[in-house]
Amino acid sequence: MSTAEKRQSNGEAEEDDDDDDGDGHGLDAWERTYTDERSWEALQEDESGLLRPIDNKIIHHAQYRRRLRSLSTTAARIQKGLIRFLYIVVDLSRAASEMDFRPSRMVVIVKHVEAFVREFFDQNPLSQIGLVTIKDGVAHSLTELGGSPESHIKALMGKMECSGDSSLQNALNLVQGYLDQIPSYGHREVLILCSALSTCDPGDIMETIKQCKKSKIRCSVIGLSAEMFICKHLCQETGGIYSVAMDEVHFKELMLEHAPPPPAIAEFAIANLIKMGFPQRVAEGSISICSCHKEAKVGDGYICPRCKARVCELPTECRICGLTLVSSPHLARSYHHLFPIVPFDEVSPRQNVLHHRPPKTCFGCQQSLLNPGNKPSLCVACPKCKQYFCIDCDIYIHESLHNCPGCDSIRHS
Amino acid sequence: MKFQIEDVTVYFPYDNIYPEQYSYMVELKRALDAKGHCLLEMPTGTGKTIALLSLITSYSLSKPQRQVKLIYCTRTVHEMEKTLAELKLLHNYQIKHLGPAAGILAIGLSSRKNLCVNPTVLAAENRDSVDAACRKLTASWVRALAAENPNVPTCEFFENYERAASAAVLPPGVYTLQDLRAYGREKGWCPYFLARHMVQFANVVVYSYQYLLDPKVAGIISKEMQKESVVVFDEAHNIDNVCIEALSVSVRSKTLDGASRNLSRINQEIERFKATDAGRLRAEYNRLVEGLAQRGNLAATDTWLANPALPDDILKEAVPGNIRRAEHFLHVLRRLVQYLRGRLDTENVEKESPISFVASLNTHAGIDQKTLKFCYDRLHSLMLTLEITDTDEFLHIQTICDFATLVGTYSRGFSIIIEPFDERMPHIPDPVLQLSCHDASLAIKPVFDRFQSVVITSGTLSPIDLYPRLLNFHPVVSRSFTMSLTRDCICPMVLTRGSDQLPVSTKFDMRSDPGVARNYGKLLVEMVSVVPDGIVCFFVSYSYMDGIINSWNETGVLKEIMQHKLVFIETQDVVETTLALDNYRRACDCGRGAVFFSVARGKVAEGIDFDRHYGRLVIMFGIPFQYTLSKILIARLEYLRDTFQIKEGDFLTFDALRQAAQCVGRVIRSKADYGMMIFADKRYSRHDKRSKLPGWILSHLRDANLNLSTDMALHIAREFLRKMAQPYDKTGTGGRKTLLSQEDLEKMAENGVQEMLF
Repeated sequence: MSTAEKRQSNGEAEEDDDDDDGDGHGLDAWERTYTDERSWEALQEDESGLLRPIDNKIIHHAQYRRRLRSLSTTAARIQKGLIRFLYIVVDLSRAASEMDFRPSRMVVIVKHVEAFVREFFDQNPLSQIGLVTIKDGVAHSLTELGGSPESHIKALMGKMECSGDSSLQNALNLVQGYLDQIPSYGHREVLILCSALSTCDPGDIMETIKQCKKSKIRCSVIGLSAEMFICKHLCQETGGIYSVAMDEVHFKELMLEHAPPPPAIAEFAIANLIKMGFPQRVAEGSISICSCHKEAKVGDGYICPRCKARVCELPTECRICGLTLVSSPHLARSYHHLFPIVPFDEVSPRQNVLHHRPPKTCFGCQQSLLNPGNKPSLCVACPKCKQYFCIDCDIYIHESLHNCPGCDSIRHS
Repeated sequence: MKFQIEDVTVYFPYDNIYPEQYSYMVELKRALDAKGHCLLEMPTGTGKTIALLSLITSYSLSKPQRQVKLIYCTRTVHEMEKTLAELKLLHNYQIKHLGPAAGILAIGLSSRKNLCVNPTVLAAENRDSVDAACRKLTASWVRALAAENPNVPTCEFFENYERAASAAVLPPGVYTLQDLRAYGREKGWCPYFLARHMVQFANVVVYSYQYLLDPKVAGIISKEMQKESVVVFDEAHNIDNVCIEALSVSVRSKTLDGASRNLSRINQEIERFKATDAGRLRAEYNRLVEGLAQRGNLAATDTWLANPALPDDILKEAVPGNIRRAEHFLHVLRRLVQYLRGRLDTENVEKESPISFVASLNTHAGIDQKTLKFCYDRLHSLMLTLEITDTDEFLHIQTICDFATLVGTYSRGFSIIIEPFDERMPHIPDPVLQLSCHDASLAIKPVFDRFQSVVITSGTLSPIDLYPRLLNFHPVVSRSFTMSLTRDCICPMVLTRGSDQLPVSTKFDMRSDPGVARNYGKLLVEMVSVVPDGIVCFFVSYSYMDGIINSWNETGVLKEIMQHKLVFIETQDVVETTLALDNYRRACDCGRGAVFFSVARGKVAEGIDFDRHYGRLVIMFGIPFQYTLSKILIARLEYLRDTFQIKEGDFLTFDALRQAAQCVGRVIRSKADYGMMIFADKRYSRHDKRSKLPGWILSHLRDANLNLSTDMALHIAREFLRKMAQPYDKTGTGGRKTLLSQEDLEKMAENGVQEMLF
């Protein structure tokens, strides 16, 4: 816990710290152990003042279920925007230097944006990202829209400073200007990472929000300190998600929630055919001039099937003929978003007893479903194959595996 | 939904009900059964109004042999409209389920200013001049004149209404003020007189407190209400003050000057009548000799003045001989004004009981008590005789007669205080003579006596045992309900120390300490950087607010605040304050964030809501004690101690804490809302102060939050705001059920009610 006075008096010293922290290794030894473990956060004080370990598992599971349900309510045959054009707006106003996230909000944001960019391209190989920062009330474009994670991350790792006010309107105007040029099959999105609690705008922000809605830009905001009305309003209007991070772990989760493609905006989701090229890998050892770096390179590249230009990485757009170049695994990876696994039914312990005797172990991991003390714990069941799973397996199946082991084994036998 | 409470089937227009609403209804039902009065405290935002309305209307639906009329008193026109809108919803629901048999007539009644549809009358700017303009068109002699001479202007709406006579009735339904105006326009009937006429037949009447408590108005409007009525005072935490104000009069030198002008005008009128129509004055004299009170068979438009004393205290006697003649009465009034002027012209503060005042009046001006008592009625009669319609010009003399009648009627519970200047500004002479009532039970007594059930309800009635003592009645039910919440959405904190660990307080001896002002400033600066959108600050008085804002301006605190949020300040000017509020809301809407500086007991603290993002945090700087050196307050405290055995300290603390609770309560208006409250004064941590806060605040005030310094409060605020920003389940989970469906209620009825509720 640090008071604001301390913060002000240490203003300069802190900036030096930030420079080191840029690459994440500048923590003092004593700080480092705590950032990893943060053992005190697992405790909470109850009404009588006693310390108790937080039952995180249940809370997290509840959060996860809620998320799943909200996704699945419309999930039946939903169209998803697989080709996304996402701008990440990083708020680098004065508030980003606050130290309630260790070592400072800015460092934490940068760290997780990096992770997010990688995850995003992993899940949405056909999409592009751009970075925008807000500082001193002005929005700057840090990187243009592009499909390569490395270039964004490199730009992020550069020297960053935070100062001045935040301006939501300026950022939205800038982003809107860029996104308006996107072809109609692309899904326009903005993700704002907002640490400031006020926005200092040159004009009427309501007007800007209306325009964003008109150009079908889906705006989502992740706040770092508290709920702001205008952000909530923006998200509601444009169909985005507004969330506020409790702590660093939660912030990371919230970021990653934006990685899977969102449902397509209804009136916008006209089926469109897009021309794509599946380039072949260049033969080992052959030398050619690459179209993206404009220099001769040996091996390790792809050749555009239409104009035979050489590109270094996929997915990208051919510099010469403008064809979208992807590889088939990229398309395959987007597949599961369209056919998600149905959410499992929750089986409360009591119901469990009433029912005919349920299995004692989880079908997934074969661990016991009973709590220590032989009390039945919370578990879930697949509505199709009626197998029981523990909570951990539930999350794993839905978030990573994308297959139900129960259903799959039935099919085999 | 529809459910049973004992033998009453309650129709409730929503699908779910809060548990506290249910228990509120149960208690209310018991009070109605017992035909007694009750006192119910339930926090705002829990749907008090709809619970009340649906129970009472359902009660009379279930018991057709016992028709219950509901008289619902609100403080403001806005609340009146809100109540009626809610009732409309309920009524539609009942009609849907029971058919037209459930039809009721519900109307709102307000002053002419809010109901008139005549454009020429409405052009007048304030209430009194609208009333006068109306009278100019509708008084019986004006209409008689107009019958002969078509050039005399009358009000066509009123004429149409009169012509329709007994056909002018409202069909059953719920009428808001707006509906009444629309209906009046459509039919061409005067909505005001129509509403006043329909009050007798309506099942539900919604109007202002004054119509019941102020004897001047109540005598006209509410005298025909039957005993079986249920009277509800909503937002009644200040009801004692309303009662007192209804019976208090203050006279300034401006009033006396005006009264003198009025008297000479009346004198001219009398002379004129003597010359032209002497018979009329004689007729009046004869009537007074016969002892006919002028009320009784007057046209509705002519009754605008009723006696300011309570109905039971008015003597049913003939007007005494010495004021029967108009000239004599005028002489008496002149002498009275002269005497009052003499009393006002004093150097030091005087305090007197009514008895000694009347005695001195008798020796100096030769006016005895009985004469005084009849002043008001006599003036009324005289003005009718003289056919005076521009009544708004005669407010001053009315005030004087008002004073005279009250001082002549009551000898206990009042005192007369003459102050040559305002205590706080001793250099500006502003003499004022006040007849102040100390006993709130006087004005409300007829209400308690007349009606079988009186319900007093509000969000803050703590400590609940003090109200029956102040108002001198015996409630059959008095209960305080807490809010059932799905999450802890209010976070009260007591801040006792600044960031330098020195105590903060607005106690008299610490008030001028620059350290306290600095610490308060620090607190606000820190909070504006942590709390989003709107923050409301309440100060104990205007002078304190001015002082502290000045010192903040000098030390640069204000500038630091402005970096995060805009600053708006309440002033004594209503227009300015409204503008400030408007801009404050806009700044909150657009994300700029704003701070509103306001004063406890001010207009904003009483009537404006700072819900949702308009108020995420409210800071109460200090404890809003009344100005304890005020002569009126001292006199009232003495009276309370002698008559009701209420200790001075107890009353002062009670009064201060209810104001504080009222201020901080502005921040949360519904369960989906959330907000923090900071009580910034070390005295709040003391048990005797803290325990007087309402239960729903106390239950969220954790022991750990009782003795905070600025940085600790900051930390708690951060955590709280993060927690509240997370999505949540409205219905509540696990053991805490906060929304009950019909099935839940049926289950509860089987299992016995109480154990499931709390």
